[in-house]
Amino acid sequence: MFLGTVVYALINSVILALMAIGFNLTFGISGVANFAYGALYVTAAYVSWMLLNLLKLPYFLSAFISILFTTLLGALMYRFILLRVRGQALSEVIATFGIGLAILELFRYLGFVGFEYTLPVFIDQSFFILGAYVDMQRILIVIFGALLILGLWVFTHHTSLGLAFRGIAQDERTALSLGIDSDWIATLAVSFGAGLAAIAATIIIPLGSISPSEGYSVLIKALAVCIIGGLGSTGGVIVASFIIGFAERFTDSYISSHWTMIVSLAAILIVLIVKPSGLFGEQKELEERI
Amino acid sequence: MKRKLALFGLLLIVSFIWITPVTHVSAAEPIVIGVPTSLGFLEGKEAHKAVQIAVSEINAKGGVNVGGTNRLLKVAAADLRDAAPGVPVPEALLGLEKNILEQKPAAIVVGPFRSEALIAGMDIIAKYKVPMLGTVAMSPTSEKKIKEDPEKYKYIFRTCLNSIFLAKYLAGGMALINKEFGFNKVFVMHQDVAWARAGAGAMKAMFFDKAGWDVLGMEAYPTGSADFSSGLMKARASGAQVIMPIFDMPQSGILVKQWKAMKVPALMFGFISPLAGSQAWKTFDGKIGGGMNCIFEIGNSIASPNVPKSLAFTSKYKQVFGSDIQSGHGVAPAYESVYILAEAIERAGSLDPDAIVAELEKTDRMGVLGRVKYGEGNQAVYGIDPNETAVGAVIQWTEDGKRKIVFPETLANGKIHLPPGLKSMK
Repeated sequence: MFLGTVVYALINSVILALMAIGFNLTFGISGVANFAYGALYVTAAYVSWMLLNLLKLPYFLSAFISILFTTLLGALMYRFILLRVRGQALSEVIATFGIGLAILELFRYLGFVGFEYTLPVFIDQSFFILGAYVDMQRILIVIFGALLILGLWVFTHHTSLGLAFRGIAQDERTALSLGIDSDWIATLAVSFGAGLAAIAATIIIPLGSISPSEGYSVLIKALAVCIIGGLGSTGGVIVASFIIGFAERFTDSYISSHWTMIVSLAAILIVLIVKPSGLFGEQKELEERI
Repeated sequence: MKRKLALFGLLLIVSFIWITPVTHVSAAEPIVIGVPTSLGFLEGKEAHKAVQIAVSEINAKGGVNVGGTNRLLKVAAADLRDAAPGVPVPEALLGLEKNILEQKPAAIVVGPFRSEALIAGMDIIAKYKVPMLGTVAMSPTSEKKIKEDPEKYKYIFRTCLNSIFLAKYLAGGMALINKEFGFNKVFVMHQDVAWARAGAGAMKAMFFDKAGWDVLGMEAYPTGSADFSSGLMKARASGAQVIMPIFDMPQSGILVKQWKAMKVPALMFGFISPLAGSQAWKTFDGKIGGGMNCIFEIGNSIASPNVPKSLAFTSKYKQVFGSDIQSGHGVAPAYESVYILAEAIERAGSLDPDAIVAELEKTDRMGVLGRVKYGEGNQAVYGIDPNETAVGAVIQWTEDGKRKIVFPETLANGKIHLPPGLKSMK
């Protein structure tokens, strides 16, 4: 039971990290808190479902097209809406939240509600690991999650575009003086964040089903992880995912599933009281206020 | 002066002519039926469609005869969103009151989705004296409230079954499982909402404790929970032979998938929304053979030739909307409620809420659900004989993707079979 709980806690942690990493990337680079993130996650899943079930395209081609579509949607969202309000935090939040709300409620209005909206698992097998049966999809989630985080690290540390990302994140004015186009990089950051949301949806949705309310749930989880880890800090996101992921599963197993959702909310409250910028946050002005 | 008087007189005549037909038209205005519920959730969405079918059928026959005047019915739906995680009850109540004030319905059908919203909303319904025939919310607390103050809350009826009747169907199914296979160890997993808590609690108190079953655990999951691995590990470790789930949230589909993936050697029998409809076989890639589910009311996602009108309704639904009913709850009662209401209005001969309520209390109708009569607390009475009461059913998925009714005996067209890997204790 204990080892089984550890296995599922690890999987839960990687799921949370996957859900939050795109939100964190966008905020870390462009400074935009993309509250349409959950809607983009759900959009990717619905697009995959439509390509797979209505156009009868092969599954992996459907997933690939939906990731590209969502990435493009993120870029368009930035160029045509967010660019106009960039730098005005409140306007950015209102704009992205409004876009997210519109997308999710449009799906609801169009009748995309029901249990048939689900995606198939990649490989339908289960393995006995450390005292518990684990399905292949969850094992793949851990592998994909690790590869994605590694890939993101290589991208931001060893490619010119990734270094430009970090340049903008560290000091936009200095980066501008070195010829880095901050608007273009911010477009890419929102776009890549949307793409990461789509990748997360493609891997995670086969475990459950697609519904508009999933968009709100993903946004809340991403926010919880980022607030605890520190907005903009990739290391923080990973650590926070593990804290929440393990706390949730151990609460489930050894206290009661009734309290599971309270865990992440309590963790947010404690972090906001003790360290408002999050465990690895760099918003020093918040620290100086207390 | 004379000219002014003549002009004034002409104005009066014109006004009179103008007003008279308006009055006549307004007397024949359609009767508004409010459908405030969670339209974005399967049960709410399909119940709304069922109401539309009933209304169109009644209108096609000329409408409802109210004191000698035929009046058409009109549906005014409102999305309360009360089933969504995180939506507070006061927000749902605002939607309910808005529907009543703006649409001025003569009556409400379907009603709040969550019992929490219904119980809190009963005061609003009583305040505006709008008869309501609920078809989704199931907590028996609303009946308790009606019994405590019948004059105030007499407007609230429930056509769907409540958690107590659900417990009786589950108990019937469990008794059959015990009789056939000797199983008597159960692990309960339920959603942490009023109706599911009441259902699980009633099962423990009314059946498991009395019938000598071991309840190895009772896990409550908040709405929106998406991982059931810990509960399933506990069920396996404790040696449960039956897992009894009670969920209506979309995420409960994950529980079905995890139950299969984690190879938990226990029969799944209870209520999980995603397991109820014909689409479930495709949704779960055909991996639900052996799973048992309670269909709260006949005529929802499954019909029976022993209740002929249930077959007629389900095929009409498919003909109109192009797909089968997928929900196991609330849809057939919504359809039936419109007819019950229309007949009550005709008998009352007016839209006076007290007169309608008096006639609703006398309801005795053979229809899609079997025989509907309202009992204590204005709750429709459910049982096992469709000629005597309304009925629900327990189905089991076969290994080749069909659904067989295994309980009650009056509707059964199959016997319970254990899925591969599970052995009988007898």
